[in-house]
Amino acid sequence: MKISASFLARYIQLPDALSELRMLFDDIGIEVKRSWPDTGLFSLELLANRGDHHSYIGIAREIGGRTGDKLHTPDIALRKTGTPPLPLVLNTKGCLLYSATLLVRSGEGTPLTTDEMGILDAAEIHSVSTVVDATNLANLELGQPTHCFDADTINGAITIRDSRPGEMAWPLFATERVAVPEGTVVICDDEKILAIAGVIGCEESKATADTTRVLLESAAFDPVAVRQASRAMAIATDSSARFERGSDPTAVITGAGRVVKLLEAHGWKREGDTGLVGDWKDEARCISINTQAVARFLDHPIDTPELTERLERYGFSVDANGDDLSVQVPPHRVWDVEFAADLYEEIAKSIGYNDTATNLPHVDMGALPSAPERMKRAVEEVLLGAGFYEVFTNGFHATDMQERLGLADGHRLTNYIQTTNALDRGYGLIKNNCLAQAVEAVAANTRMGTRPIQMYEWTRTFHPDASADNGVCTERHVLWAIAAGDTETNMWATQARTASAWFLKGVVEEIATALSLDLQVGPADPHNPLHDCMHPGRTAAIVFRGETVGIMGEVHPRIVAAFKLKRSRPVYLEIDRAALLSKTERPRYQERSIHQPINRSLAFSLPPKVSAGAIVNTMKDAGPSWLDAVDIVDLFEHEADGIAMRAVTFSLRYSNDSGDRSAEAVNQSAEALIATVLAQFGERGVSLRA
Amino acid sequence: MNVNALIEAFQAELLAATNLVELDALKRKHTGKKSGLKAAFKELRHVDADERASVAAALNQAQSTINAALEIAAERMAASALADKLNAEWADMSMPGQSPRRGARHPLTVVENQCMDVLRRLGFSLVDGPEIDDAYHNFDALNIPEHHPARDMQDTFWVTGGLLLRSHTTTVQARVLESKPQLPIRIASAGRVYRNEAVDATHLAMFHQLEGLWIDENLNFAHLKGLLSFIAKSLYGEGRIRFKPKFYPYTEPSVGVDLACSICDGEGCEACHDAGWVTILGAGMVHPKVFREFGFDETKVSGIAFGLGTTRMAAQWASVSKVKALYDQDLAVLHDLHRPPHRGEA
Repeated sequence: MKISASFLARYIQLPDALSELRMLFDDIGIEVKRSWPDTGLFSLELLANRGDHHSYIGIAREIGGRTGDKLHTPDIALRKTGTPPLPLVLNTKGCLLYSATLLVRSGEGTPLTTDEMGILDAAEIHSVSTVVDATNLANLELGQPTHCFDADTINGAITIRDSRPGEMAWPLFATERVAVPEGTVVICDDEKILAIAGVIGCEESKATADTTRVLLESAAFDPVAVRQASRAMAIATDSSARFERGSDPTAVITGAGRVVKLLEAHGWKREGDTGLVGDWKDEARCISINTQAVARFLDHPIDTPELTERLERYGFSVDANGDDLSVQVPPHRVWDVEFAADLYEEIAKSIGYNDTATNLPHVDMGALPSAPERMKRAVEEVLLGAGFYEVFTNGFHATDMQERLGLADGHRLTNYIQTTNALDRGYGLIKNNCLAQAVEAVAANTRMGTRPIQMYEWTRTFHPDASADNGVCTERHVLWAIAAGDTETNMWATQARTASAWFLKGVVEEIATALSLDLQVGPADPHNPLHDCMHPGRTAAIVFRGETVGIMGEVHPRIVAAFKLKRSRPVYLEIDRAALLSKTERPRYQERSIHQPINRSLAFSLPPKVSAGAIVNTMKDAGPSWLDAVDIVDLFEHEADGIAMRAVTFSLRYSNDSGDRSAEAVNQSAEALIATVLAQFGERGVSLRA
Repeated sequence: MNVNALIEAFQAELLAATNLVELDALKRKHTGKKSGLKAAFKELRHVDADERASVAAALNQAQSTINAALEIAAERMAASALADKLNAEWADMSMPGQSPRRGARHPLTVVENQCMDVLRRLGFSLVDGPEIDDAYHNFDALNIPEHHPARDMQDTFWVTGGLLLRSHTTTVQARVLESKPQLPIRIASAGRVYRNEAVDATHLAMFHQLEGLWIDENLNFAHLKGLLSFIAKSLYGEGRIRFKPKFYPYTEPSVGVDLACSICDGEGCEACHDAGWVTILGAGMVHPKVFREFGFDETKVSGIAFGLGTTRMAAQWASVSKVKALYDQDLAVLHDLHRPPHRGEA
């Protein structure tokens, strides 16, 4: 809502300086979105529960509640109700009160004065005609929407009722008739719908500059009924915004009286009485509070007279009996004041939120970080130490993201949880994987020439799952990391390391170490949804206790190309957070032998597709119990008969706890291991290197 | 025997010596077994007895003179050699350091950790909840009934199956209250929230919040302010803060906490929409209807609920005027926020 300080000053005393007024607005909870000091205009963000704030009087009353200054209300015409000018039939629960007043123009009439139009100008409401301008002005002043029909277009009685199936209406500013959803509260004559109640009038009954007889409507509608109508017809107006928040039923007559007063000054005359129908009665809701309880709640000294005076500033009536107060809620607050806590808020606002006590409650003991928090920090230390930066990606996937992954129809990653009402198409699909955004981030940073490129994120992916607790989807908590290109910059003393699958494997191993977790990197798992997104020869599963809990490796060249990465070969890692939270045991101290272990080295020449890890496992399985470790310590790549071979050196460590292990026994074991390896892998081209 | 001649000869050769090797040779020549000085000592027995003592003293003096001169020369030459070595080993220390470089947590996480460090001192524990939730936990249980305008405050992404992307982390509070834990309850929840609204540089469809809930007996409005003040000052120091009335459906009274804008220092700028103040906290006393919804007696328990806009806080922390920059995965930005530029020599 846009208001003018100079007009507001007509209703309540204001501070001299606009800067002080702005502070006062903040102090009473009316947020200033923007101000224009040169014109004294303010754009205000009004609270969702305070329909009464949608007017100069409402804002002035709120200011008066804080400052104690008296409210000045605008002039109202005689509030006389009686025989309605047209038959009025109220036939819905969606209307609380409905009034109709007939006004007739004698002569040409005159427009609103420049001064009166000033309020409309400040609100950026353009002049339409004298009667429409008067209703808009009264609404801005009092917060009571009213509407003028051209009385000569009305046939028969005015009926307020729920719309029937198939009914049509022609709302103002619409280019044609539109369907009115059944059950919408409408204002009708005997032939047509004159207005969507509380939302908007209709073209066929609108008052124009030529209109000489108007029927002035002033009513109170049920907030939910107006909101449903506004939503169903996708029409939002100042009127609907006001009624949705609950209007003051007693303002029905006041609002009509203000419009009549304005029009009477401009060539119009009321003809007959104002007709009023409706069952609404002020229930005079009372809330009991106690002065001592208020003082305890605010931790602020206050007595009953002060409490009474402060509540009366806002329009509450107070009946005090010692420290016990019965507070009657005024009609303009029946929609938002229900509990003692609501009154406590009014009192706190009146005193000033910054002027009540501030005390920190007593706390016996603090809390320690939870296990997930400790795990997260430990993993982060590994990633940070390896040079990764944390990022946050969007929770949605654009449709082209799915296409760029190049997955076949029916692939699991083509199934998405979808939003049903996204304003932007880019927010239609809720992400089901992190890889696409990770590669996109690499591409964006590559385009900008940023190096090194190493990122990680803790996030969630969402997967359709009818068997889930919510019947719709499961959320998977994951950690992902991606790296591309050199892992260090400005390396002038040594050669920079390039991000590779082995680099990521080292990261996984360090995470496992940091968490004392037996994470292993094993053969790729084709059941992993991301399997088809990875380079088939450069991917591996991350395994914990025999279960696949993640994936790592090089991103598939198809996807790399789809993201227009020409030279970069990103490597990607993803682990289920749940696995990282698994309970583990730290390594325990083991008594060390005073005798040195005995080491032997073996080198095998391996052809493609025979992994060094498989050789390690074979030797571990076949070796004696005193073979403590088999480590890969060197690699030499060479070509033999046109085949890319790898000469891999393995270090065997034999324990010698009692010091009597003979060299012969160790050599015999090594020979046996050679024989086993050659027996198992010889046919696949594995040979012992001399 | 001419002792003076020996010394003169030594000193002449000493002047010619240029390095420690030559000096060593000189030492052997003038003080070694075959030196003239040693020969002179051997000749002493042939010197007349009445002159022998004075000659011996002269020889001793000469030997001391030579040794002292050699020692001084050795020190001088060692110093010179060291200086030459050091000079030759000059390294350009303006070159960039070569140790592996550490990455950085995102400003959001930094801020979230700072918040939790503060909250843990007050006994708060972090709890988690789903991001796709139902309308009950996101709205109805929190006194936001259907067809209430308060639902417009949080334009919602509805998803298939009638669920929604949570529009605030208060859903976690609802789930905690639903589980009816013992008092006192002190929990915090943090994470992504979603709003279905027009996106621009300062408004995002996804951003972050951190919320806290404290339920106990006898908590009051002064405690609410005390808690909020403690949090704000722990996070931002003794900077200016202020309280103002707000509306949140699940609290009554509701409070906003403003911090003088760190970017413009209260003067007004784009980041604070020219207000000079930035709202960092929304809070309030738990609404009686929320207590009733979960079976608590609002006359016996009271509660403080608060929410921190960690996205906005991170923007303030990083002096980022447009929060979108925090979600762009722009490593250059994150690098610069983490690491000051290389300044060369001091």
